[in-house]
Amino acid sequence: MDRERVEKEEMIFSGIPASPGIAFGEAFVINIEDLPVGDEPIRAEDVEPEIKRFEEALEQTEKELQDLSRTLEEEMGREHAKILDSHILMLADEVMRAETVEMIRGEGISAASAFHRVIEHTLRTFDQMKDQYLRERSEDIRDVRRRVIRNLLGQKIEGLANLRKQAVVVARNLTPSDTMGFKRKYVLAFVSDIGGSTSHAAIMARSHGIPAVVGVDGFSAQAKPYDRIIVDGISGEVVLNPTPETERLYRQAQERFRELETELLTLKDYAAVTLDGRKIELSGNVENEEEIDDLISHGARGIGLFRTEYFFIGRGTLPGEEEQYKFYRDVVRRIAPDPVIVRTLDIGGDKIAAWVDDAPEANPFMGWRGIRFTLSRKDIFRTQLRAIYRAAAYGPVRIMFPMVSVLDEVLAAKAICAEVVDDLQRERYRYGENVEIGIMIETPSAVAIADHLAREVDFFSIGSNDLVQYTLAVDRGNNRIAYLYDELHPSIIRLIHETVEAAHRNKIWAGLCGEMTASAGVYGTLLLIGAGLDELSAPAFLIPEIKKIIRSVTFDEARTLLKNVLQKSTAQEIRAEIDRYLKDKRPELLEFVPHAGA
Amino acid sequence: MLTGTVRVVNRTGIHLRLASEIVKAASQFRAKVTLTKGDLTVDAKSMLGVAMLGAEYDTELRLSVEGEDEKEAIDTLTGLFENNFGREVI
Repeated sequence: MDRERVEKEEMIFSGIPASPGIAFGEAFVINIEDLPVGDEPIRAEDVEPEIKRFEEALEQTEKELQDLSRTLEEEMGREHAKILDSHILMLADEVMRAETVEMIRGEGISAASAFHRVIEHTLRTFDQMKDQYLRERSEDIRDVRRRVIRNLLGQKIEGLANLRKQAVVVARNLTPSDTMGFKRKYVLAFVSDIGGSTSHAAIMARSHGIPAVVGVDGFSAQAKPYDRIIVDGISGEVVLNPTPETERLYRQAQERFRELETELLTLKDYAAVTLDGRKIELSGNVENEEEIDDLISHGARGIGLFRTEYFFIGRGTLPGEEEQYKFYRDVVRRIAPDPVIVRTLDIGGDKIAAWVDDAPEANPFMGWRGIRFTLSRKDIFRTQLRAIYRAAAYGPVRIMFPMVSVLDEVLAAKAICAEVVDDLQRERYRYGENVEIGIMIETPSAVAIADHLAREVDFFSIGSNDLVQYTLAVDRGNNRIAYLYDELHPSIIRLIHETVEAAHRNKIWAGLCGEMTASAGVYGTLLLIGAGLDELSAPAFLIPEIKKIIRSVTFDEARTLLKNVLQKSTAQEIRAEIDRYLKDKRPELLEFVPHAGA
Repeated sequence: MLTGTVRVVNRTGIHLRLASEIVKAASQFRAKVTLTKGDLTVDAKSMLGVAMLGAEYDTELRLSVEGEDEKEAIDTLTGLFENNFGREVI
C-alpha cells in the first residue's frame, strides 16, 4: 500500500524565527479557513425553526466570547480583552441579523449558508481597503463567523485544548482563543502564516520554550493534517514533507542544538570575559516585565535596551507619570545593582507599522519618529523623563535617545533632562542623581559626526537594525531587495568600527543593542568583540551563545580579525575571512555559524 | 434630518475598537444614524457596517441623523470624532 502512495514533494518555506529550537512532527492544522458552506436548501416548514437556531447560535457564541473575555482579562489584563468587545458587538449587529433572517426566509437556505453569505459580502469590502491595518481587521470578522458557523453546525471550535497527541501546530494566525487550554507536552512547535516576533504566538512560544516560526506566508493552506513538518526556530525555515536526507541533516542540527543548549546554560553564572581578560558587559533587550525572569535565567547582567513603546501602544490613552514611574521603578528594582538603559519613546516608523497600523506618512522610516517625535511633543517627553528620573532613585539607570541624526537634537534633549531634574528637585521628589545620558547610533549621519556627539553624551549604543537599513537603503520587508540586507556588508563593519573609535577617543563607552548578534550569529559577534565594543545587549535566549563566543576567543585575535576584515570589499569575502579564522583557530565555534549543516 | 461632516483624526483610522465606540454611542439614541464614505453608506449602529467603512486617518465622513433625539445624537457623535474618542491625538 505504502509503496503506491504518491510521494509528496518536499517544500521549504521561510518565515520569522520567533522561538529557537528544532522540532519534527506531524501537522495539526487549526482554524483552517472557514468550513465550506454551500447554499444548502431547507424545507419551507423548517424556515422558522432555522431562524430560531440562528438566534440561539448567536447567543451561544456570545456566551463563549464573554467567557473568553473574562479569562483573557484575568490572564493578560483588560486591554487585551477589549478586542473581544468588538467581536461581541458584531454578534449584536441588527443589520447583519436582519439580512441573515431575510435570506433564510427569502431564499430558503440554511442559517449557516445565509450567515456565511452575509458576512462574505462584508469581507469583500475589506479586501479592497487600501489601509493594511484596517484591511487585516477582516481576520476578526472571519474569527467571529467561524465561531457562529461551528455553533450552528454543532461543532466545537478546534482549539488546542483538543490536541491529544504530539504535533506541530499550524495555523493561519494563532489567537488567544486558539491557544487557550493547550497542553505543553503535545505541542512540538508552532508555525503561523501571519504575525511577527511580538505576536501572541511568538511570545507564548518563547515563554514555554516551544520552537516557533511565524509570518510563513501561505503555509497553512499548503500543510495538510498529518503532513510531516520540520520547524527550525533558529533560522526561520519550515520544511514540509522533508526527504529522508533533509530529515537526517536536521536531526544532526537538532542534536547539536540540544547539546549546545545544555552546555550554554551552564555558563549562566560566569562572566563575559575573553581568554585574555577583556570584560564585556552582556545585557538583555526587554520590553515588558515578564521578560525579566528570562533574562536573569539566561545570565544577563542588566538591561541594555529597555523599550518603552510597549507601554504606549495598544492602549487608548497616554500613560501618566505615576503609572510610568511605577512600571520603570519595578524593573529598576529587580535589575539593581545592575544597570537599566531606558530608551525614551521610539514611536513611529516600524513601531507604528507593526503594532498599530500603517502610518499615514509615505515614508515612516525617514519620518517623524524617535527623538524627532519626542522633541516635538515635549509634554509626552517630559512626563516620560520625570518618571525615569524618579525610578532612578531605586537603582542605576541610564537614559538613551533613539534616532539621533543632528547634534542639536542631543543638546535640546539634554536641556530638557536638566529642566526635569530641576523641577523634581524643587518639587522635592526623590530621583536618581547620576543618570548617564547616551544616544543610539542608528543613522549614518550620527556615525559621521560621532566625534562631536561623543563630547555631549556618556555613551553610545549602536542600533544595528536601523543602521543597516539606513546605510544600505534597504527595506528588509521588501522581498525583491531583502537579499541586500546584510549586517556583514563592509560599510556596516566600517561604521561600527568608526563609532567605537570615536567613543573611545572621547573616553566614553560604546555598546550595541541590535539584532546583529542574532542574525549574523558568530560572524557578527566576533567582529563586535574585535571592534572593541564595551557592551552587547541581546534577546535573552541569545545571551548564553554570545557569552560562550566571548569566552572562547582572545580580544587580541578578534581585533586582528577585524583589522583584516576591514580590508575586504564584499560581505562574501568577510564571511570567508571569518570562516578561515574559525577553522584555523577556533573550530569549536563553527557550531555557531548560522545554518551550519542544515 | 440633521447632517454634518466629521474627520478621522485618529492616526490608525476607525479600527474595531473605535468602531465599537461609535456603535455604542449611536445605539443610545432612537434616531437613525448613518455614516457615509464616498458612495458607501452604513448604519452607525451596525458594528460590521462601521468596520466596513474602512475609514482611514484623515478621511472625511458624512454623518446623517434622523429621529426625535437627532440633535443630541449628532452632537454626541460629532463630539466623539472631534475629541478623537477621548484619545490623545499623536
